[in-house]
Amino acid sequence: MLYSTFYLGKTQMGLPIPAILEIGRSINFHPVRGAPEIIDGLINLRGKVVTIINTGLAFEAEKVKSTDESRVYILKNNTELREVADADFDIETSPDNIGIHVDRIADVISVENEDLQTVPANINHPFYKHVVRRGEEFIIILEPQKMLNLNEHQELLS
Amino acid sequence: MSDTQDIKFNIYNPVITYEHRAAFDLIVSHLQEIFPICNQGKCKALEVSDDPQKQKQINDLMEKVEFFSNSLITITKVFFDQLYRAKQTSSQSISQSTAMIKIDMIERNLLERTCDVRWWALEKAFWQCIILADENPEEVARISKTASRKATKSSSVNSELKNAVQLACTRLEDIRNSYTLYRDLVIVTLDGTVIANSNEERRSTVLGMNVSEEEWFKKALQTKDGTEYFVQDISRSKLEDVESLIYSTALRAGGDEQGEVIGAMGVLFDFQGESQIILNDYLPGDNDSATLDGWFSFFTNDQGRVICSSDEYFIPSGKAADIPRRHWKLDNPGDVLVSTAIVCGNRSLVVSHKSEGFDEYRGLGWTSHLVLPESAMFERSEENEDYGISPQELMNSRLIPDTNKQTYQEIQRNKGDIQLISINGIILATDLGKAGTSFIPIFDQITTTGNSTTGKMEELLSEMSSDMLQQNLKALENFSKQAIDLIDRNLFERAADVRWWSTDHAFWEALQNNKDENFEEASKRLGIINASYTMYRDLVIADSNGRIVANSKSENRDKLKRMNVSEQSWFRQGMQISRSVQFGVQDVCNSDLENEETSLIYCGGILEDGQREGKVLGVLGIFFDWENLAGPILEGCLPRIKNEVVEGGAAFYMNGEREIIASTDSDHFAIGQEVNIPIENLKLEDGESASGIFTDKGRKFIIGSSKTQGYREYTGLGWTAHVVRPID
Repeated sequence: MLYSTFYLGKTQMGLPIPAILEIGRSINFHPVRGAPEIIDGLINLRGKVVTIINTGLAFEAEKVKSTDESRVYILKNNTELREVADADFDIETSPDNIGIHVDRIADVISVENEDLQTVPANINHPFYKHVVRRGEEFIIILEPQKMLNLNEHQELLS
Repeated sequence: MSDTQDIKFNIYNPVITYEHRAAFDLIVSHLQEIFPICNQGKCKALEVSDDPQKQKQINDLMEKVEFFSNSLITITKVFFDQLYRAKQTSSQSISQSTAMIKIDMIERNLLERTCDVRWWALEKAFWQCIILADENPEEVARISKTASRKATKSSSVNSELKNAVQLACTRLEDIRNSYTLYRDLVIVTLDGTVIANSNEERRSTVLGMNVSEEEWFKKALQTKDGTEYFVQDISRSKLEDVESLIYSTALRAGGDEQGEVIGAMGVLFDFQGESQIILNDYLPGDNDSATLDGWFSFFTNDQGRVICSSDEYFIPSGKAADIPRRHWKLDNPGDVLVSTAIVCGNRSLVVSHKSEGFDEYRGLGWTSHLVLPESAMFERSEENEDYGISPQELMNSRLIPDTNKQTYQEIQRNKGDIQLISINGIILATDLGKAGTSFIPIFDQITTTGNSTTGKMEELLSEMSSDMLQQNLKALENFSKQAIDLIDRNLFERAADVRWWSTDHAFWEALQNNKDENFEEASKRLGIINASYTMYRDLVIADSNGRIVANSKSENRDKLKRMNVSEQSWFRQGMQISRSVQFGVQDVCNSDLENEETSLIYCGGILEDGQREGKVLGVLGIFFDWENLAGPILEGCLPRIKNEVVEGGAAFYMNGEREIIASTDSDHFAIGQEVNIPIENLKLEDGESASGIFTDKGRKFIIGSSKTQGYREYTGLGWTAHVVRPID
């Protein structure tokens, strides 16, 4: 399967291409008064209202700032996910379209299922699904469903 | 945003290097490959999906890719144009300042000459000789004849006049020995007969010669008082076989500035020798230090005729130069003209700068020209030293013009856009399932092309920024060389002054007679000297015990009279002197003779009977107004963009101990301070220059440095000049 990878700080992470609806520049966020800090705002994508999560804050790390290099990954909702033709994957996202704001986009990589390794216990995180080795580098494959579940971010939301 | 309308350097311009043309071709051909790929994509869209919305989405993406590819082709053209413009601008600005430095050097020198001739004309030996000659006109003719049979030994000549002529010749020789810039100096009677000269080799030819028809002589007699002089622009004179530059003034009865005109003095400056040094400076040389082909430097007079040239074969003196006519003579002082033209078979950059004179000296309306091959402006610098600065940091530094930075950002943005289109295409293709997989290679190709194109441009940008760095470093080196050269030349003049003044009759007479009225007379003479120059704080005479017996400024006299300077370096050096061609100097330091932080003291030995060699009676010490001397020179050597000093730019001198002795920026580079500049810029050989990058108080600077090479008899004190500008 193909994965689109990106950087959060110095960590390279990836999301499966079929889970993605579109990738765009991180501009035109509509701020929402009273929304928790983890929410960067809302965007209008061809009539759909999409909530943008600041991925840096979601990981309780440094906030992602809007720059020339930063990007927004808008993920398909579960309904759209099921419309993908010839789907032979098992991915869940969320009932709504949610976007995640990242520092910088990187390559598209193709990973065979057997190359997906389990995340070592000592670095495990609820959002991590797999780890992939590329030469000397490791790429963390995220679990979109967990990542997009705003309830996962209780502390930040409260 | 990018506009190809005003492109000056398109890819067919002959100055574009082969490598750049190849890079351009590569970028454009890559980008053009995208168009068929996009067409293929549009066709595929129809094949793989019946859904009109999906088809439209794919078509839109393909069109966007086409749009950005087109836009990148445009930016590439603009980019090359900017690359060459930036190099041209910076190269032209360096050439302009070089042309200016050269004419400034010669004008400063000529200003000194105007002070010299007026001062010397007051010399007792000269006017006394003229008075005796006037009393014995028939003897004058005989002296001239005997002179041709070697010297004035013939007993038939009135011995009083003979002695006077001999003394005048001796004093003229003393001047010429102290100031080695003159080919000859002559004393002329009212009727135009030369009765004394300084150059022994020319004496038999020159003595007795009548110069009454020469302009310099006629104009000298017309001067209103001792403050006036005349300078005759380069022209033929009977006195020499080569073209001469002659300064002249009247000799007046009793050496009084207001006295009756009794004769004239003419001094023949070694203009050609001096100009050759200046013209050959700052010209690049090959391994045998021969000037590279196509580089010329020359001066023209106000008639547009070449008066001295770095290459007499291609640009001979006496003629109009082979450059565009409008360069021959410029209208107004300070005018600058820059053109490209064929010069001596080469397509060249021609830069001309008309002199503004220097200080009170208005100059003779000369113009300095610099010619270099046009290709030299765009050559890649061969030096590729590692200055420990990343291409990225360099690219963002102030050395890179804003327009280039904007283009860089535009390229980055387009690169980002193509990447986004391509990945969104891959997402769309994935949604189509198996049918969509045939799109993946198309989008991969687009990504690859986008990356390679922008990668190539980044390489070029990084090349450009390193070229800009090199050029800027070179410019700072030139400024630092100018700064050290100017101070060397200035201190040479002061060394010449002190040697000549030490021979003044009032000084040795005072020390020999040891009478109050003689010391008063000596102080008066010192006062006159100090009044004619602006760079001295005081001039003092110390007797052989180190007691100060005379000085130029009466307000300092009481304080100085109580002082004994026998332990001071300048005095001790002075007491070692036994020949009038010697002098001593005490490096910049804190002296208790003055309340100033920095004193620079020159000394000469006052010898018995004013002899050229003999017993030393005491020491003449001259105290420089060092900061006011060094300050303006350093100010003039600061890095500038369009005549404005670059923000944070500074220049300073360091002594042999690597301490700052003068500075334009006392906040950041204070006197007495040591600065953390690169070691290569400190460990210089005499006459060497270097450049580099250093960090001071968290700020990154580029620096150019040059070490003294001395000038003529002044060998330098091991000082270095440094010019810096911040780049972040």
